[in-house]
Amino acid sequence: MTPNSPTVAVIGIGSVSQYGPLAGLIPDTPLEPTAITAWASDGLRRAFLVPPFRPASVVPGLKTRRLDRLSVWALVATSLALKDAGIDITQVDRSRIAVVFATAFGCVELTEAFYLSAAANGWNGTDPITFPETLPSAPASHVSMFHGFRGPNITVSNKYFAGESAMMQATWLLRQGQADLAVVLAGDALARSMYSWYEEAGLLSPACYDSHSPTQTDGFIPGEGVAALVMELSPRAEARAHARSYGRVISGRWAAGGQPAEIIRQMLDGCVPSLTICGGNGAPCATSVTAALAREIAGDRAVLLPRTFAQGLAGTGALFHLILGLGDVARRQLGIWPTGGRALLLGTARNNGFAALLLELP
Amino acid sequence: MVEFFTIGVLLRLTDTRKTIAVTGVGVVSPYGIGLERLQAGMLSGTCCLKRTKDDVYPGFEGTTARVQGLALPGEDSGFRYSRTDQLAIMAAHDAMASSGGDISTFRESGILMASTLGGLTEIDAGIAKDPAAWYRRPGGLARAASYPFAHVADAVGEHFGIRGPRCAISVACASGAVAIALAGNMLIEGMAPITLAGGSDPLCPFTLSGFNSLQALDPEPCSPFDQNRKGLNLGEGSAVLVLETLAGARARNAKVLAVLRGWAMNNDAFHSTAPQTDGSGLADCIRLSMEMAGVSGDDIGYVNAHGTGTPLNDIAEANAYETAFRGRNQPIPVSSTKSYFGHCLGAAGALEAAITIMAMRSRTLLPTLRLTTPIESSGVEWLRGQLKRQSLPLAMSASSGFGGSNTALIFGSGLS
Repeated sequence: MTPNSPTVAVIGIGSVSQYGPLAGLIPDTPLEPTAITAWASDGLRRAFLVPPFRPASVVPGLKTRRLDRLSVWALVATSLALKDAGIDITQVDRSRIAVVFATAFGCVELTEAFYLSAAANGWNGTDPITFPETLPSAPASHVSMFHGFRGPNITVSNKYFAGESAMMQATWLLRQGQADLAVVLAGDALARSMYSWYEEAGLLSPACYDSHSPTQTDGFIPGEGVAALVMELSPRAEARAHARSYGRVISGRWAAGGQPAEIIRQMLDGCVPSLTICGGNGAPCATSVTAALAREIAGDRAVLLPRTFAQGLAGTGALFHLILGLGDVARRQLGIWPTGGRALLLGTARNNGFAALLLELP
Repeated sequence: MVEFFTIGVLLRLTDTRKTIAVTGVGVVSPYGIGLERLQAGMLSGTCCLKRTKDDVYPGFEGTTARVQGLALPGEDSGFRYSRTDQLAIMAAHDAMASSGGDISTFRESGILMASTLGGLTEIDAGIAKDPAAWYRRPGGLARAASYPFAHVADAVGEHFGIRGPRCAISVACASGAVAIALAGNMLIEGMAPITLAGGSDPLCPFTLSGFNSLQALDPEPCSPFDQNRKGLNLGEGSAVLVLETLAGARARNAKVLAVLRGWAMNNDAFHSTAPQTDGSGLADCIRLSMEMAGVSGDDIGYVNAHGTGTPLNDIAEANAYETAFRGRNQPIPVSSTKSYFGHCLGAAGALEAAITIMAMRSRTLLPTLRLTTPIESSGVEWLRGQLKRQSLPLAMSASSGFGGSNTALIFGSGLS
């Protein structure tokens, strides 16, 4: 994935998050975590939760009975992203639309339900309807089934960079002619077993237990949601009337180790990004490592630190970090990068792991 | 348009930086570790499927195939390994060993490992009933940490100190084949000099119970493509291919076992568990892979089918081959090697890719076991009975899965 290859435009955005279901950019309104009521606990437990909504009120005709919430959100976020992109799927060749979905945990809620059915009825009495919905790839499959997308359908995971990995896989599919459009999704739904794991591992921020505690850089506040991007080769996108581009993916690299700054500089090929958008999972050490690497690469150019709400999605938060960063670009809040500048989406992992995507901004 | 496309294919196939070579194959199967054991077992017609009772979970009676004895190579990296991880690590070790070079050869390699289960073998219903109490048990947190399916790619990478880009893939029963297809994309993009790609899935109460609840299991050893087929059997295993560009392979004097000539992925967009009866999704996928490879149906000498043995899959697949290979001079030779050691889920596509390469290299077409009354199909030559000796310049491995995913991989013995 080199700077000389064709670029891929992000032409639509949709999301389901604590802000609810949204088409396009997410408003710049910081939110506080909310109290968990889905399961009983001794005392206050908070997280960045998706508020209840009726999927059919957002996507007419959408039936979601027996689906994991993750599948429901993937369906809704996809519809919103397509709407934002102005794509009428009845007018495009749906055998050429790919779905690439990133998740860290998959359909945990129905996996829990399947286990509970085994505990109640024995392994020979489990629920046949639930079983196929426990697959990590179920949300991506539902997106293809509902919309009739018959192109490649892929579910990926990476502990730290699932979102970035999905964007890169989609970029390759488009550039290698295996699809004309790609819906890239990333997200997770918070389940009790996940929250308890963070809690028992001692990773949670005090803000999870105390509504008066500040929510910045003091640990992990779990979150949930799904972000969706619609991506298309830039020349194709530009050929369509009224096509929008939030940014164009120029190049990307990721590795589990090595010399991140050196490899990223090689990828940048002399360019210094006018904006670096840091991903991160909320752990103070991870955030500081990402920020330090960003500073090393960006020098005195703008660096956006990870947003607390997107941190809660751990490895799948990258798409939200990107959407929030693009929101800042649109609002020109920082006012220090020129139009047409370049943005670097950057995430880091332990042992010098990193993922970096270079985008050209509109 | 056709001419332009043909020129594109020719340019790719003559550009050694965009031609994908298979330089190593690693296998852990119920026959044991290594492609040689798999080959010896399959060519002798040995079936690993065994009737079991109370084996995978109390109360289960049926037929499965197990991998016996797992001993991890190399040093413990400090990771907790699920059985999925262990199978993958051993297959990756075997693949690297077969590819030549020491571990430094693979230091910057990419890793694309597929699994549908991840670390589900490490947890149980207690985690859903009272997670906090479950995690406080000795090793509870570490066991649960291996649950995400990304862990299988990390386990391989951390165990061998490989630091290239790594990613886990989960696309139901097509997972292992998808990992190999995506490795092709990754190498063409120049993201890594070498990529280890494959899949791993163990036997596990969760999946055995799930398929049992769907009434998809044959209590006896399965009979794919037979008119009297009753369902599938589950097995376990892992396979990893070492993939690199032909230019890279030549530069390090690696032996080229096969060339990944074409690949395609698509989706039926039809049903969560059932394929389209007419097999049109898989037929389209096969057509796309042949377009990429620049070959016609007449050029393909053998198809290693998905062939689960379920009534719906096998008829859809037969229809897909009828459609995709219509116009061939001879019926297309097809077999299902799941009849030897069952369906290994996320590993199946990778294992069957390895078997397809094995078939090409040994010039042997493997029959489907227990195929007595094949599905009627004028366009398909159902391989059954004896081994068939035949030169195989090009062969295909086809995979499908829940959620409608299809993948077709075309391997060539060379660039002719």
